[in-house]
Amino acid sequence: MISFVLIFLVSFIFSGILVRTKSIASGRKGPGIMQPMKDIIRLFRKGSVYSETTSLIFQIAPSIYFASILVAILVVPVGNFKGIISFEYDFIFFAYVLALGKFFTIISALDTGSSFEGMGASREALYSMLAEPAFFVLMGSLGLLTGHTSFHEIFTTFHFGSYVSYALGIMATFVLVMICMIENSRMPVDDPKTHLELTMVHEVMILDNSGFDLGLIMHAVNLKFAMYGALIANLYIGVLPFYIAIPLFFAIQVIFAIMAGSIESFSARFRMNHNAQFIFTLSSVSLLIFFGVLLVLNKLN
Amino acid sequence: MVNVLLIIFTISLLYLSIANRLLTYIKIIGVQGFILFGVAFIELREINTFNLAFILLETIIVKAIAIPMFLRYVINKNNITRETEPFLPNFVSLIVVTLIIVITFLVANSIKDIHLDKIYFIVALSALFSGLYIIITRKKIITHVLAYVVIENGVFILSLAVGNEMPLLVNLGILLDVFVSVFLLGIFVNKVGDVVKDIDISQLSNLKD
Repeated sequence: MISFVLIFLVSFIFSGILVRTKSIASGRKGPGIMQPMKDIIRLFRKGSVYSETTSLIFQIAPSIYFASILVAILVVPVGNFKGIISFEYDFIFFAYVLALGKFFTIISALDTGSSFEGMGASREALYSMLAEPAFFVLMGSLGLLTGHTSFHEIFTTFHFGSYVSYALGIMATFVLVMICMIENSRMPVDDPKTHLELTMVHEVMILDNSGFDLGLIMHAVNLKFAMYGALIANLYIGVLPFYIAIPLFFAIQVIFAIMAGSIESFSARFRMNHNAQFIFTLSSVSLLIFFGVLLVLNKLN
Repeated sequence: MVNVLLIIFTISLLYLSIANRLLTYIKIIGVQGFILFGVAFIELREINTFNLAFILLETIIVKAIAIPMFLRYVINKNNITRETEPFLPNFVSLIVVTLIIVITFLVANSIKDIHLDKIYFIVALSALFSGLYIIITRKKIITHVLAYVVIENGVFILSLAVGNEMPLLVNLGILLDVFVSVFLLGIFVNKVGDVVKDIDISQLSNLKD
């Protein structure tokens, strides 16, 4: 229960810190930390407009997307506190519940009948497909290293011993940060600043949503950031007592938000054909993590 | 610590397969030289001091500094354009280099020699086959030299695989190989560049009598 509340609390401030970091990096002062939340609350009060070419799918898809992310957060632990649900191999459940939400977003984008949204939907499908082996190989290697198979047990047993586990921790953090940037379609995969004109992947799929649905989708992005940030924070918290773990969790999430904002400010978007190659590089790096784990376990005999 | 350095070496091989510019190749070769210096510094314990000093100086000066500077000079002098001009798209190169690492891993697991340290063997063979692959799939002549230096780095790691010592003869052999190849190919590229105006391996067949 505590992990769910913590991740929910972080999602309120995550987007604000990210936008603030981008503004300060550009030399402006920027909006307040709670400004994105105020925008989302304003959207919740508006009514939605549904076009005539859409069907039921378009009306229910944002709710299913938001619900899938909430269910995925139920599984994520924080330090010593288990998620609300925790069972063997729950990281597979995590990945596929997120995929269910993504599937509904994709078919609702196709439902609108606009070719622009269909293009975004096909790219979203391709990039998620290429990023999936990276996540599974990473979680599989962590499971192999610690001997357990659920999120809670893996993260409480993962500790830094030799040099190789430090290298593995840093590479795992890098892979998780990049997976987060890919799944939320941020830099360097897509540019959220050109948020209505030149968008490519995620923003183009939600062009026709409005009102309450759009508010749900925008808050879902915040929740996804907070969720991946919780996974990264778990690599470093381990079994610390709660009066150290909770402040450390918030600190790591804030650092992650600042880092994401810096990546967005200081890098340019890749050419679209380079994106596929960049995402596949992630999968190769996680393959190297797998070999590093086999090395640590002395299975190389 | 050596294992971390060797993992970074393998990541540099992956980066080599997707890089677009010649200067990136040269920087990667410099980084690989520094990694080899670190590995040699930590690993070689059983040899006499003169030998150790010679190997360390060779890696840090020749592999990490002198060869990148010389290749940069060759590129500037011949006005070679910046791109690497591969025959296959970079995505395919990335998949092939990943497959090379996986297959080398599987091959290394089936060798039952107790004197062989596995990770050195894997990294060395990956570097060897990746360098060979880069020679095959690039159009420019200068990338042949760059990939050859990568192969030599792989051979250096392989010579560290079988123990804590490196006989002076093996080291001199590697050094001679590198000098001859880099200088000869450098002169070759210079002289060919003077006669034939564009550096492309398809033009090499014009040189026959």
